[in-house]
Amino acid sequence: MGRALIYVIFALCAAMTLLLLLILLAEPVAGAGGVAHPVFEGMRRGGDGAARLQHIGAYAYAFQALLLALIVALSTLGISERHRSARLRGYMISTFLFSAFILWRMVASHQHFLATGETTYFMGFPAATAWAIYGVWAGAVPLMILYVAGFRQYIYTEDDEAQFNALLEETRAQDTQAGAR
Amino acid sequence: MEAYRQEIILAAVALYMIFCIVTGLWAMRRTTNSSDFFVAGRGLGPIVVSLALFSSTLSGFGFVGGPGLVYSIGVSSFWMITISTAGYALGFFMVSKRIRMISDLRNCISLPDVLAARYGSELVRMLVAITIVLGVMGYLATQILAMAVVMQAILSGTAMFADIGLVACVAISSAVLIFYCVTGGIIASVYTDVVQGGIMMVAGILILLTAMSVFDGGMTEATSVILADDSESIMPWGSAGIMAALGWFFVFGLGLAGQPHLVTKMMMNRNISDNRHIFPMSVLGYVLAALLWVSIGIIIRATVIDGIIPPLDAPDDAASVFLTLFTSPLLAGVVFAGLFAAIMSTSDAFLNIGTAAIIHDIPKALKGTAVKDELLWARIVTVLLAIVAALFALYSYYADATLVALLGAFGWATFAASLFPVVAIGLNWKGATVPGAVAAIVSALLINFGVQLTGTALPYGVSGGLLSFVVSLFLFLAVSLVTRAPELDSDIDRVMDI
Repeated sequence: MGRALIYVIFALCAAMTLLLLLILLAEPVAGAGGVAHPVFEGMRRGGDGAARLQHIGAYAYAFQALLLALIVALSTLGISERHRSARLRGYMISTFLFSAFILWRMVASHQHFLATGETTYFMGFPAATAWAIYGVWAGAVPLMILYVAGFRQYIYTEDDEAQFNALLEETRAQDTQAGAR
Repeated sequence: MEAYRQEIILAAVALYMIFCIVTGLWAMRRTTNSSDFFVAGRGLGPIVVSLALFSSTLSGFGFVGGPGLVYSIGVSSFWMITISTAGYALGFFMVSKRIRMISDLRNCISLPDVLAARYGSELVRMLVAITIVLGVMGYLATQILAMAVVMQAILSGTAMFADIGLVACVAISSAVLIFYCVTGGIIASVYTDVVQGGIMMVAGILILLTAMSVFDGGMTEATSVILADDSESIMPWGSAGIMAALGWFFVFGLGLAGQPHLVTKMMMNRNISDNRHIFPMSVLGYVLAALLWVSIGIIIRATVIDGIIPPLDAPDDAASVFLTLFTSPLLAGVVFAGLFAAIMSTSDAFLNIGTAAIIHDIPKALKGTAVKDELLWARIVTVLLAIVAALFALYSYYADATLVALLGAFGWATFAASLFPVVAIGLNWKGATVPGAVAAIVSALLINFGVQLTGTALPYGVSGGLLSFVVSLFLFLAVSLVTRAPELDSDIDRVMDI
């Protein structure tokens, strides 16, 4: 996974650039970014949800899925190459799948509402929005768990700490010698 | 108690400001050199760093602009909050360890210092320092203006200060900010951040509880009212649409690791291993404080639609209307103090990194050495920078808002687009090159300035910030891959293996 990871990240960024270009070039929909509320000044309405997604929905969902993959890939890049074991790779792939599942539930709940006009509520919000608020926030919690619980195994092991302290001592000794001269 | 509402709010804000002044005086005794002034001598504990980190992330925008955005465009802006776990994760996975190591090894006191060491390039130092100074001017001016406008609103409600002008409010609020930043440097800044962060968390929780009691059916009834009026505004993407929401998701998620005022705080902790405690505490603090943004915005939009309260004159009035109509004077006092805390905690962080760029990095990039007697110059430039920003804020308010709006574009998105690749990827990939870094910074600045100057509105609510970030990331990687990786200094090479 060593050097290949940067090519994975580059491929994700290239694909996202392409998707953004396709979205910018897609047939425009009037009011896709919201329209003024007819009654309350300063308030905006979203209007027809299905129409807004008609030309760019698939591109936008793909863009978000790639972004979730990019977050996991970049987090992996932040872990020293020596610690990127098969177990870690499995954990990171599972983290991405967890986030992707939340995205799928959010999109499916929204599509269900657009088709039927009906929704359930969870902790104060319509189902699709609850997935967006609570689910998306929780989607990166596995990364936090890895960082906290796996800190001494993946992020900054005791060996890492010893290596850094040795480097620090060497540098300070060289500085002291240079100062003495 | 209701009869003394304004006086109670004023007392809460005055108490908070006195605390800032006392902290400045206390911290002055602990500030003996430029390392103390800029990076607190790299000796801060995990609670202090985590509170300082999240309170600097959530500026006055979160308390005033955030609820206003929900009133205006529904839940679109929630994406800035829900991405916080991923945003902090990237900051800690990619930046916190190596930035602390390099700053310790090379005795760095600023982000440009660290990047100059990483890339072995004074050009990178210069470009990053210029980006920081431009961004700081825009950010500081808008924060000082926001602080003065809120202060005027509070003071003008009392009999004694009914006719107070905006200039006087700019002078009072800037004076407090300058005092504690000049006397105590970053030490005063982070310790005021601790109290600021605490106030923001308490305010967030209390406001949520109050908001849930406005409708008999709680938050579910409020969101149902919004849904009945316009379902899209309470559906995942909000009124602004999917690309505006995803733009915030991208820029705030990845961008946190490119904010100079935040990553600089990652250089200040006593031990690298403290990071495993700082990360979750920062996320928790941010989420609790952001409850205010979510709950006020939803309740005010729902109550206006339901005819309970009249429409707002401006969306940014959402927080003050909520506090006036639905909270006790005591809670309003805490939240107003929290608002000043949010603005000041961001302002002092910017004042600090802007000063470092001017007295340390730009001279180093130009002539190879920093100015003599850095501590004295740091204090002088902090005063000057704050005064220039205050004058700039007043000029924009009374004469011409174009310039400050232009530099305002140098906000979060520009820092994110220009600095994230250079900082976060550059600290983790030896193949990152100077031409790649230059391409990322220059393209991000050009696109953001270009979109702002030409007033271009991109289709589907795509923002200039999102476009510039995606392009800059792509260019950074592409240019670095096709140019020859430089020979790293041996200590930096070894740090990047750890």
